[in-house]
Amino acid sequence: MTSFLKNANGRLKAGLVITLFFLFLGFVVYYIPHANPFSYNTYPRRLAPSFGHFFGTTSMGQDVFWLLIEAIHNSLVIGFIVALIGTVVGVFVGLLAGFSGGLLDRILMVITDTFVVIPSLPILILMTSLMRGSATVILMALVLAIFSWAWPSRQIRSLALSLKERDFVYTAWFSGEGTVQVIITEILPYALTWSLSNFMNATLSAIASESALAVLGLSPANLISLGNMIQWARERNAIFTNQWNWIGPPIVATIVLFVGLFLLITGYNDYLSMKRGR
Amino acid sequence: MKFAKYVGLRILTWALTIWIGVTFIFFVPRMFPSDPVENMIGRIQSRSGQMDPLEMESLRKSLRIQFGLEGSLLEQYVSFLKKGLLQFDFGPSLMSFPTPVGDIIKTYLPYTLGLMLMTTIFSWLIGNFIGLQAGFRKKQLSSKFLEGVAICIYPVPYFIVALVLQIVFAFLLGWFPLQSTIITMGGFVIFIKSLLRASILPGVSLLLVGTGWWIISMKSLSGTVAEEDFVLYARYRGLSEGRIGWSYVLRNSIITQVTALAMSLGGVFSGSIMTEIIFGYPGVGTLIQKAILQSDYNMILGCITISIVAIATATLIVDLIYPLIDPRIRYS
Amino acid sequence: MRRKVSAFLVLPLLILLVFTAVNTYAMTEVGTPRRETLIVETQTPTDVPGQFNSYMQGTQMGFGIHQLMSAMMWEMDTITGEQFGEVAAGAPESNEDFTEHIVRIREGIRWSDGEALNADDVVFTFNMIMSNPGIGPSAYYNAVFKSVEKVDDYTVLIKTVDSFPRLALRFGVTIWGNDLRIVPEHIYSQVADVTTFKDSDPVVAGPYIVKAFDSLGKWILYERREDWEYSTVGAVTGKMPQARYILVKYIGDDTTRQMAMVNNEVDILCEVTPEMVEVMTAMNPNIACWYKDFPYATSDDPCSKGISFQMAKEPYDNPDFRWGVTLAMNFDEISVNIFDGVGRASALPILTATAAMQELYYIPLLPWLEAFELDLGDGTTIQPFDTGYALRMAETLKAQGYDIPSDETALIDMFGIGCWKYAPDAAEKLFVKAGLEKRAEGWYFKDQPFTINMTYLADTEAQAGRGLIAAYDQLVKFGFNCNLASESSATWDSNAATGNYEIGGYWPTGGITRDLYAQISGWDANLIVPIGERGAGQGSRWNNAEATRIVQAMSVVSPDSDESYELGMEFMKVATADMPFLGFHSGVKFVPTNSTFWTNYPSAENPYNGPWWWWSCFKYITTEITAVD
Repeated sequence: MTSFLKNANGRLKAGLVITLFFLFLGFVVYYIPHANPFSYNTYPRRLAPSFGHFFGTTSMGQDVFWLLIEAIHNSLVIGFIVALIGTVVGVFVGLLAGFSGGLLDRILMVITDTFVVIPSLPILILMTSLMRGSATVILMALVLAIFSWAWPSRQIRSLALSLKERDFVYTAWFSGEGTVQVIITEILPYALTWSLSNFMNATLSAIASESALAVLGLSPANLISLGNMIQWARERNAIFTNQWNWIGPPIVATIVLFVGLFLLITGYNDYLSMKRGR
Repeated sequence: MKFAKYVGLRILTWALTIWIGVTFIFFVPRMFPSDPVENMIGRIQSRSGQMDPLEMESLRKSLRIQFGLEGSLLEQYVSFLKKGLLQFDFGPSLMSFPTPVGDIIKTYLPYTLGLMLMTTIFSWLIGNFIGLQAGFRKKQLSSKFLEGVAICIYPVPYFIVALVLQIVFAFLLGWFPLQSTIITMGGFVIFIKSLLRASILPGVSLLLVGTGWWIISMKSLSGTVAEEDFVLYARYRGLSEGRIGWSYVLRNSIITQVTALAMSLGGVFSGSIMTEIIFGYPGVGTLIQKAILQSDYNMILGCITISIVAIATATLIVDLIYPLIDPRIRYS
Repeated sequence: MRRKVSAFLVLPLLILLVFTAVNTYAMTEVGTPRRETLIVETQTPTDVPGQFNSYMQGTQMGFGIHQLMSAMMWEMDTITGEQFGEVAAGAPESNEDFTEHIVRIREGIRWSDGEALNADDVVFTFNMIMSNPGIGPSAYYNAVFKSVEKVDDYTVLIKTVDSFPRLALRFGVTIWGNDLRIVPEHIYSQVADVTTFKDSDPVVAGPYIVKAFDSLGKWILYERREDWEYSTVGAVTGKMPQARYILVKYIGDDTTRQMAMVNNEVDILCEVTPEMVEVMTAMNPNIACWYKDFPYATSDDPCSKGISFQMAKEPYDNPDFRWGVTLAMNFDEISVNIFDGVGRASALPILTATAAMQELYYIPLLPWLEAFELDLGDGTTIQPFDTGYALRMAETLKAQGYDIPSDETALIDMFGIGCWKYAPDAAEKLFVKAGLEKRAEGWYFKDQPFTINMTYLADTEAQAGRGLIAAYDQLVKFGFNCNLASESSATWDSNAATGNYEIGGYWPTGGITRDLYAQISGWDANLIVPIGERGAGQGSRWNNAEATRIVQAMSVVSPDSDESYELGMEFMKVATADMPFLGFHSGVKFVPTNSTFWTNYPSAENPYNGPWWWWSCFKYITTEITAVD
């Protein structure tokens, strides 16, 4: 651990701190008992920030701070589920297709391509209009995940195709290792760097897709997410009524969260390459 | 021979992809509890009060027949495959009945394509250029700075970027119109002038958010490639950094990015929805959105089929020219 | 390399500077003098630009087409709720049993190409609709009319199949407009198929003609007819529409709309939220609404908003349950959550408390409402009507610094005669009476955990959407387990017809004319179909024999008779006892105008017409709106 801290670069440290901070907000602070943040008229309306309400209250008398904590929690959960499904399925399908070749590759690629060529936002709009009454965080994440694996798997496949022809893979093959073993020992490390940045990106794009749906008014109506929080504030004209304490926090949180994830990933890449000895 | 087989198989995949995608788009909207006829009746009622029961019944009957929703699902599907896929005739729009879907798309498609293709390609070029710099020459100040800018802009949700641009440049400064007004009558010069005025803010907003991802992904790709043995070897051989950057690192990392570009063209239609809403830019995005909200099956099919065919074809072309870019891949 | 990079950044900036041309207000973007152009918002752009034929489907009538060009048989004074003839010279003269109707045509109206508008055009229009199945209402017209014949150049004889006492109410304007618009016979009779005739250069009887339109569907520029005195408005009022040009334009989303209004790029917006009014009036002193100050909005839109129950489902079919929901809600809080307390309470189901309806029905019903009692099932009763709302809301708002009148009549006009009490204890008893059971974990119905699914229409109707969310909030606080979902319009409308909802933010309400038949005819229990099927009306499937009897009795009664009014009163009592729809407020509309270039818009101080720019009555407003010097 000490050697990690010594070797870690500034980016990695900054990224870790920010990401951990959000995880802390979303998964520790979240569990501190508090009033249901969605509930209207819990407090006086439009309060300015104060010690009792760090970010004041909304036009509906909700506490902005607790709304934000709940939104971070839900958005992170959505993002992680989508990214996890997308990355795991994507890497698996991509590697399998790239290395097996033949009929399996064809079939997998036809399926993948279908998901790549169908534009996602229109289908998401369609899907969300079906989910009436049963819109939970998990369900929302699963819907978003439908489209999150196709692109990664295609990219991993082309990475695999180019790696396949390299000498060290041939060497491994000739020395009698099976395809799966070759993939795990020789290829996966290459795919891993890429997967991690994909994971980060998938988390963000899930949060962004959810926000886009929210802005179109189609995210589940009682789901407290970063996107919905921005949308509720926008609906009540918070930009022009100068309620920055309401619309500001979710926007800033979205941006800082992503910068943190991004620093984490680039810092981690640098750290890896340094460890590999250069 | 091998090449011919590869091309043949690839084209078969292409056709299969389109067919599955289009079938999906045909059936999914019809599975939902939404209905263009009820929507039409609902719209009439919500603006002119309650409708006479007798009138509602007769209107519903006549609309169902006119909209071609009377036959079984299978009959509708077969007739769609015949007309839609083979002749690109998607029938009348249901929300703007009886004007054909094709006529409406034709009006708006050039604007979407023009704006979205330009910004997608430009952001790809700029992003990869900066990303390559950042990945290959990690230590240079300019690459660090540009990467920093990218990190800060990329995470901002698109509609926030668009909104800020609109508030600052159109509302406060008044340099651009709040809503894109494109004057199509009154001559070519007026048209181009108004088109430019209308396109700059949407274009800049798309470039700002589009470039970020390319910078980030290219940086990660080229950073990995830059540590490969053949690059180190090239360094030992004393090749100039510029040469290494362009002919070694770029060639080896660009393939992934070309594939990604081909596929990101898919965002051309759906990605323009927010731009069109905020800047009032004319285009297919809002057409798709409206069509979905009002269950205009024919319009959904028309727009998305075009999109599917375009992306499938783009990826087909990329796959066919792969071996030209990367000699290590053989036709297999 | 570094230089190239910075070029990428500098280039857009340079392009920006090129366009720094100062935007003078002298001309509009379509090349007309700003001072002669009234700019009006339309709420939806059109996908079929250049299509002005109202009998071809897909034409966006609200794009100025029916406001400025269409010729209606009967128009409406939206303040008094009384109709007057536009193309017709007066009300139809019907025979004893309302099967033959003489309609006299107004003399002196000419089409914009100089032809006189006469009985031929009217007869042609009716027959065109009846003989073209492609025209939406065709089948309905055939079911209603036996024949429409010309008697002389300015007299038409209409024969109906059955007794039809409400000819002008149904085929003239009451709300928004009407689908009967007279077309020029000399043009439309030459067309092979009127359902595919775009009519891009329309010949009209209204006071404005199309000067230019956007081929991308975002605006239409209208010009006043040179012979406006022969237009419908000219013939009816003799007044000239003041603006030489009217630009009807799609402005975009809410953010853009308020910015455009503040920058004087538009004179009239359709409907906005109170938060937008607050911002716009603060940033531009020329912007005002119906009232100059609080409450800003008019409460006279005839569609009250509230919550609809799906009464074919259990326990929503039980009036005790519906009354339980009613009493479980704190209306004061709901009111603040919707539009900060603005709006006239419209507590009666189905009938909207517009100013006219409040006078005609609400106030006369007040003694009955105050005496009305509910049996709570445990031997106790409650009188649920609460007359204290207006005073209470006035106090709350005064405390917030608003200038509220203290005169009681003014308060009742502003906030209504009252609302339903917030009585959670009584509500609980009513739920128990309806068969629900309260356990430690929450409410149960028939031994199953009980959940209410609530839906609203996404993104278009702020008042209805906010109202339903506020209701959700109230029911959750009461202790129910609820789901909340927003739906896209096609799903929403389809679910309305098939009954696929439990509590929805639908608004099957109305109330503009003294005769309530149009509002209540859809509540006939014979129209009910099973859930999943689409019926004609009765989306919420209210099965009430007494109400049905009244509807049927009313259908053959003259709308002007006292009997029709009495039946209306009786219907309201039946509906109140059964609570098929819980009303919150009457239609509250914030309709801002900008008096930088134009002035004398209709307002509370000068209510010569209602602020309904998107209704066909707008043409009568154009004669009053005058230029600022």
